[in-house]
Amino acid sequence: MVARYALIFVLGIIAILMVSPLILTVFTSLKPTTELVNPAWYPPLDVTIDHYIRVWTEGGFNRYFFNTLLISIVDAAVMIVIASMAAYALVFLKFRGKIWIQILFLIGLMIPVTAIILPLYSIIRSIGLVNTHLGVILADLALAVSVFVFMFTSYFVGIPKALHEAARIDGATEFQIYRRVVMPIAVPAVVTTALLEFLWSWNDLLLRLLLLPRDEMRTLSVGLLNFQGTMTRDVTGLSAGTIIMAVPVVVLFLFFQRHFVRGMTQGAVK
Amino acid sequence: MARVELKNLSKAYQDVEVLHDINLTIEDGEFIVFVGPSGCGKSTLLRMIAGLENITGGDLLIDGALANSLSPKQRNIAMVFQSYALYPQMTVAENMGFSLSLERKSKAEIADKVNAAAESLQLTHLLKRKPGQLSGGQRQRVAIGRAIVRAPRVFLLDEPLSNLDAALRAETRVEISELHQRMKTTMIYVTHDQVEAMTMADRIVVLNGGYIEQVGSPMDLYNNPASEFVAGFIGSPKMNFVKGRYASALGAETVGIRPEHFDLGGGENAWEGEVSLVERLGHDTVLYVRVADAGPLTVSLSGQHSQQVGDRLHLMPKPEHVHRFNTEGRPLA
Ligand SMILES: Nc1ncnc2c1ncn2[C@@H]1O[C@H](COP(=O)(O)OP(=O)(O)O)[C@@H](O)[C@H]1O
Ligand SMILES: [Mg+2]
Repeated sequence: MVARYALIFVLGIIAILMVSPLILTVFTSLKPTTELVNPAWYPPLDVTIDHYIRVWTEGGFNRYFFNTLLISIVDAAVMIVIASMAAYALVFLKFRGKIWIQILFLIGLMIPVTAIILPLYSIIRSIGLVNTHLGVILADLALAVSVFVFMFTSYFVGIPKALHEAARIDGATEFQIYRRVVMPIAVPAVVTTALLEFLWSWNDLLLRLLLLPRDEMRTLSVGLLNFQGTMTRDVTGLSAGTIIMAVPVVVLFLFFQRHFVRGMTQGAVK
Repeated sequence: MARVELKNLSKAYQDVEVLHDINLTIEDGEFIVFVGPSGCGKSTLLRMIAGLENITGGDLLIDGALANSLSPKQRNIAMVFQSYALYPQMTVAENMGFSLSLERKSKAEIADKVNAAAESLQLTHLLKRKPGQLSGGQRQRVAIGRAIVRAPRVFLLDEPLSNLDAALRAETRVEISELHQRMKTTMIYVTHDQVEAMTMADRIVVLNGGYIEQVGSPMDLYNNPASEFVAGFIGSPKMNFVKGRYASALGAETVGIRPEHFDLGGGENAWEGEVSLVERLGHDTVLYVRVADAGPLTVSLSGQHSQQVGDRLHLMPKPEHVHRFNTEGRPLA
């Protein structure tokens, strides 16, 4: 019983630590400028959404928001397709040189993003894709594909080989087996990939800062920097912008929470 | 309906040959059983016929046409897997109709064929369920249903009954035999259980260590085993093998006598022993008898008998049923 209360106590503290920055940011974003003299943990007395309106229109967050949404959705959708197909080939097909491709993906897992970001930048520039969303999407996919191939691979390994064989006997082509037998089983892995890749893409700053110098191409993460000048700092704008950026992610996770946990654990234990 | 011919077929994984020089002709409509101990290559041979394993030596002919490099689809065979391999996210009806839907058959035609197959296997009330909601026996029938819906040329079954309990196994054995009588499709059935082989097969192929030991009808194998291995593998309880002076007296290295081929009593040549265990089955009584110079013997007597553990008795092998083998385990004329 004591252990149980101790556990609840510790979890409570952790929860407060995790939630409080978000709460404080919400408070600040809703305060009129006059109330900024109050401490941050003071709730707003006079709630206003002016900062949101300002950030959304003058601050350009409407454009940033849709840029970010576009890149993240395309990233997630394309990642599901290419990572699952690569993993399918690695798990279910026999071909020469498979081991080398596996090693390549393994290397991709081990190299830190920061180590290859400059070469990646020069590649994107050499094919003329700086300042395009396509360039960012390609870079995102390249950086994360190994992780998701690995995830789909460990999921597919748990699918009995006999299922693949039964479908071949039934007359299915490899693509039909992929589409109609394997992928419907892999829904949890698909959801996990979609959420994680969407999230990474949504939150990434470094690549976007490098690859999208033009303002109208920028994403929310880059847009937030606008509020932080060298001398000044627009605290309310920054807070409103942060909330605008955070809300879709929170909603997504609340919605897919159960799927997500299943996808993370299932392939591994079965 | 098809005739399947295996000509000098062999299979090697890397450098290890696991099937050697297999020659066999399976007639149209025949029920053939591959039987042998675990690891002898039954599944591999079946999977080579299915097109799931490539053929590394020799030829496979289906209806006279070379099929070595045909895909499973082109071979038009159906297979029932030991694990059933049902598609978990599809309903029973979708599982059974999957191959037809791949052939872009109309919905109505698929439904007709699925319903007909479901009816013959008493699966109609389960058509909307997913495999996860079925018992082992029901899954097994769905796997068979999926195979018959396609009306394949050849039907392959790899130990389809090994995951069922004994009662269900006996029942399903009968159903598969009846199914074969109705459909008259060539069936190749793999099992390690000689009882399944004996009860179902038109002809049995006994495999051992990647070689065919013998091919023949169940009674052929029982009456005229081509080797000590086949003699010991076919028949239950197992044949007794006796070496030493009793064997030499009959002019052989080893003699094999089935438990059911002893007479009690007998003259001065009779084998004398002591009963060490009695199993009473009602229709049979099985005695385990220790005989000096012959070892422990199994004796099966028809009907009910009163022998007790510790009784001494005399045994006489029925001369016309004694199998004599030479040092290589081959039968002597
Ligand atoms: N993929 C494989 N690679 C190497 N050896 C294999 C492979 N599959 C089967 N074998 C070997 O081939 C032999 C026959 O196997 P199998 O056909 O499964 O036997 P059975 O079905 O009679 O029990 C076994 O010795 C097994 O170890
Ligand atoms: Mg096997």
